[in-house]
Amino acid sequence: MSFLHDYAYYIGAFGLIFIGLLVVLAKHNLIKVIIGLSILDTGINLFLISVGYLRNGTAPIFSRPGLDASGMVDPVPQALVLTAIVIGVAVLALALGIAVRLYREFGTLDLRKIKELRW
Amino acid sequence: MVSPALLVAVPLGLAFCVPLVGLASRKAARFVPIVACLFNLIVSLRLIPHAIEQPIVANMGGFTPPFSITLFAGPLGLILSALIALAGFVVSIYAVAYIDKGSTTRYHTLFLLLLVGATGVVLTGDIFNLFVFFEILCISSYALVAYLGDRGGLEAAAKYLIQGAIGSGLLLTGIGLLYGLTGTLNMASIAASVGSIGTVSVFVPMALIIAGLGVEAAIFPLNAWLPDAHSSAPSTISAILSGIAIEVGLYAVVRVVFTMFGASSMLLFLVFLGTLTLLVGEMCAFAQSNVKRMLAYSSIGQIGLILFAISIASSASIAGGLFQLITHTLSKVVLFLAVGYMIYRSGSTEISSLEGIGKRMPVTSMAFVVAAFSLVGLPPFAGFPSKFMIVRAAVAEGGALFLVLVALVLVGTVIEGAYFFRVIQAIFFKKRDEKPARHEAPVAALVPILVVVVLIIALGVYPDAITGALNSAASELLERAHYVRSVLG
Repeated sequence: MSFLHDYAYYIGAFGLIFIGLLVVLAKHNLIKVIIGLSILDTGINLFLISVGYLRNGTAPIFSRPGLDASGMVDPVPQALVLTAIVIGVAVLALALGIAVRLYREFGTLDLRKIKELRW
Repeated sequence: MVSPALLVAVPLGLAFCVPLVGLASRKAARFVPIVACLFNLIVSLRLIPHAIEQPIVANMGGFTPPFSITLFAGPLGLILSALIALAGFVVSIYAVAYIDKGSTTRYHTLFLLLLVGATGVVLTGDIFNLFVFFEILCISSYALVAYLGDRGGLEAAAKYLIQGAIGSGLLLTGIGLLYGLTGTLNMASIAASVGSIGTVSVFVPMALIIAGLGVEAAIFPLNAWLPDAHSSAPSTISAILSGIAIEVGLYAVVRVVFTMFGASSMLLFLVFLGTLTLLVGEMCAFAQSNVKRMLAYSSIGQIGLILFAISIASSASIAGGLFQLITHTLSKVVLFLAVGYMIYRSGSTEISSLEGIGKRMPVTSMAFVVAAFSLVGLPPFAGFPSKFMIVRAAVAEGGALFLVLVALVLVGTVIEGAYFFRVIQAIFFKKRDEKPARHEAPVAALVPILVVVVLIIALGVYPDAITGALNSAASELLERAHYVRSVLG
């Protein structure tokens, strides 16, 4: 149980990453694939946060005297996640835009039927 | 001396000026990318001599490394940023006449953002910053592949986006693991501390990062998106994707393997992967009947050749690989731009429909021939000295293994020659009608093509013009300790 307790965030993060990958690889509906990408992104963000997380840590702000830097969570991964979220939103928006156009052109979102080009 | 930060900042600022200029005059907006690329070209070329003496390190925000985001403008980064600016310059002149459909201001904004991303990747010294610039590059290229809004382009963009997003996910996971291990994102300080960590723990982030970057670099098992994306995009974008985007991906792989991890044990694996990529790319290219798909597969083959050369990791072979990279960019830009108007005039991308077009568009066709010969490696074009350098360096490495690999590389070149000669035969020696009307590409398209053609011939006749800079770029890759010292002081 202590293993679960210590590594819960990593297990959750990699669980989300693998669920996302599985959805992207196994689903044929473009919208579901995009949802998979979104889950993958969330998993990675959670992973980044847990890299810098400290149990019972405080925010990295010297708000009152006597605070020790060793009791603070690492702020760098949080900055990274903020950037990664913005990038993820951009990719998601573009993907959904392309999905809308694809549906207009092909009348379907099934990736097995959208096969004009050879692989 | 100008700060290398301007190489990123000026085009980035101008990219967002394009829509504003477009409000005043849609015609004027087309010239903004030309200005930005010219600025970058001049600044990069002027900084190269300084960088050869001592790499230029710029720290953003007034912090010292490893806390600041570092820009590292060594000879390698500046050569590549000059190459990006040159390719962007000629392609954006060509685009003035070629891109006339759709929302042209959006095209020019995205085009400039793509170049900003590429320049940022080659200049940055911070691994997360590299990820961000990489995403700028990728997102703008996803959008540009779908620019025409036709069925093929949309489908290719969807495939490209899905595979690219998984690649970036792997890259970001690798970066996260690496940060957990070393507690820093600065590439120099990662390089300094990576030696003291166990090999197994370093291997996982390295594999993730290489796989993530390998998607964009189109290294063999990860290149399924490339033929569709490159053949469905507008020809200007095909030229930039093929000439710049995948090279930048390859640069990132090489930088990570050589400088950041110093992973000499990975190199033989990459040599094999390069040879495999080369053979697969060239064989697939041989089987194509669509000329743009053929060129796209040929890019995969060339990437394999460059990866092969650089991973041999001797000073001469890296210089040869970088020379091949420059040759490939110049040749592919000409090939795609020339093919752009050939397709436009003949109305089809099939090789059979190009028959007899050499009579209708002699200048464009000759430019195509020069670039094709250069890519195959015939003298006196730039491809000859670069391929010669690679083969000589690989043979000098010695051993039966490298002789076999060189033989395979030469087999790849023969296949390459075969499919290019087939196209040239179709263009010039198969007649359809007896008295074709001459209908050349417009001057705005011919001038940039001919400029690059002249450059290809000049580099082929006088390769010494750049070998000095290439050699110092090669030593920048090989001397990790020097990289670390010049960033961390």
